Amino acid sequence: MQFVEISKRYGENVIFDKFSLDIPPQSLLTVVGPSGEGKTTLLHLASALIELDAGLIIKERSEQGPVSYLFQEPRLLPKSNVFTNVELALHAHHESPAERAAIALHYLSLVDMQESLTLYPAQLSGGMRQRVAIARAFAHEANLMLLDEPFQSLDIKLRYNLIEAFGRLWNESPRTTLFVTHDPKEALLLGDAVLCLGDPKKPKLYQKIQIPRKARNIADPILLAYEAELVNALVSS
Amino acid sequence: MRRNLILLGSSLLLLLLWQAGAFILDSQILLPKVGPVLSTLLSLAKDPPFTRNLMATVFRALESFLIIMVAATSLGVLAGRIGWFSLFLKPFVTVLKAIPVMSIILLAFIWFTSGTVPLFSAFLMGFPVMYVQIEQGVLQLDKNLEQMCDLYEFTPRMKIFHFVIPSLIPSFVTGAKTALSMVWKVVIAAEVLTVPKYGVGSRMHLAQVQLDTDKVLSWTLMAIFLTAVGDLLFDGIVFGCGKLKIRWDSRRATCNL
Repeated sequence: MQFVEISKRYGENVIFDKFSLDIPPQSLLTVVGPSGEGKTTLLHLASALIELDAGLIIKERSEQGPVSYLFQEPRLLPKSNVFTNVELALHAHHESPAERAAIALHYLSLVDMQESLTLYPAQLSGGMRQRVAIARAFAHEANLMLLDEPFQSLDIKLRYNLIEAFGRLWNESPRTTLFVTHDPKEALLLGDAVLCLGDPKKPKLYQKIQIPRKARNIADPILLAYEAELVNALVSS
Repeated sequence: MRRNLILLGSSLLLLLLWQAGAFILDSQILLPKVGPVLSTLLSLAKDPPFTRNLMATVFRALESFLIIMVAATSLGVLAGRIGWFSLFLKPFVTVLKAIPVMSIILLAFIWFTSGTVPLFSAFLMGFPVMYVQIEQGVLQLDKNLEQMCDLYEFTPRMKIFHFVIPSLIPSFVTGAKTALSMVWKVVIAAEVLTVPKYGVGSRMHLAQVQLDTDKVLSWTLMAIFLTAVGDLLFDGIVFGCGKLKIRWDSRRATCNL
C-alpha cells in the first residue's frame, strides 16, 4: 500500500503535506505520534472514510475491497450476543450459515471467548468486549486491517494479554495492517515496522524491526534501544 | 414481593381515603361509599349491554392506537432521516401538541358521526406523542455503530434488524405506552361528549344526567381497569418479544455449531 504525496488539512490545520509512505503487502505497520498529528486521519484515508485533498493512495490488488476496522471502543451491537456480533460480519462473504458459524467460533476460540457465545455485551467486561471486537475484525474477510488504539482504555495486564492474542491471530491470517497506538512498547512488540508521525511532510521516524514477533521481549536490549529512539522522536515532535 | 406489598398497601390507602371521604360527606350523590359502587358494578356487569359497551370502547381505542403506531412510526422514522420532511411536519405537530383536547372533540363532532369522533380525536392527541419519541430515537441512533455496520458490509436488512430496530425499541415502547394511556382518556372523553350508541363514556354521561353517581363511579372504575389491563398487556408483549429475541439469538449461536 502506497501513500503518494498525500495532502490533507482541516481548515488551517495541515495534517499531511505531500506526505509519502510505502507499506509492504501483508506487513504490520504500527503508527505512533502525538495527538492531533494525523494518526486517525491516516486510517480514515486508508479506509476511504474521508477524502484526500491531494495525492494518491495505491493499494495492491490483494489489499483492495472491504476493510476490517478495530476502533478505540469495541462498537458491539448491544442487543446481539457475542456469537451474533461476529457472525454478522461474515454474511457478505459466506452464504452458508454453518460455514459462518464455524468461522465465528474459530476466531472466538482464538481469543478465548468460546464459552461466552450467548452472552450480551452488557454482560461482558471491557477486555472481553474488546476480544470479541478483535475476533470480528479477523473473521471479516478483508485484506486490509486498520486498528485505532484498540487497547488504550484497558489495564496493563489485559492490554498485554490482548497484544498476545492479537499477535497470534495476525500470524494465523496475516494481512496489510495499520495499527495506531500511543504506547511505544505496544508498537515495538507488534509492528514489522514502526512509524512515528509529527511532521506533515515526512515520517519523524520509520524503523523496521527484524526480530521475529514471537521472539520479542520488552527487556530485549535492541527493542529498548528502539524504544529510546521512538520516545525521543515523540518528545521532539 | 416487597414491591407487591407496597402496591397493595397504597391501593388499600386509596380505597380507605375514598371510604373516609364518603363518610364525611355522607351523600349518595356527591360521593357514594365503596360497597354500593362495587355492587352497582357487579349488577352492571351481569347485564348483556355491559360487554357491548366495554368492547365498543376497547375497539375504538385499539383501532386508534394501531393507526397511531403505524403512522407515528413510519412518519417519525422518515422525519428522523430526512431533515426537510421533519421541518415540513413541524407546524402540524406543534398545532396538534398545543390544541386543547376539548376543541378537537367539539370540532370532530361537527365533522363526523358520534362513533368516529373518539377514534379521530384519540388519533390526533396520541399521534404527536409517539411521533416525537420515534423521531428523537432515530436522531439519536449511534453514528459509531452505523459506521461499524457499513465497514463490516451489513446488508440493509441486517442493519434494520440488528441495529436500527433494537436501537429504536426504547423510544417505541415509551412513545407507545404514553400514547396508549392518552388514547383511553381521549376516547372516553369523546364518548361522554358525543354519546355514541355503545361505549363506556356514553354510559357515564347517561348516569351523570340521572345523578346516578354509583354508576358514574362504576364506569370510571371500568375505565381505570381498561387502562391498567392495556398497560399490563403491552408490557407483557414487550417482555415476551424480548424473551423470544434472546431465545432466537441463543439458538443461532448453538444450532449451527
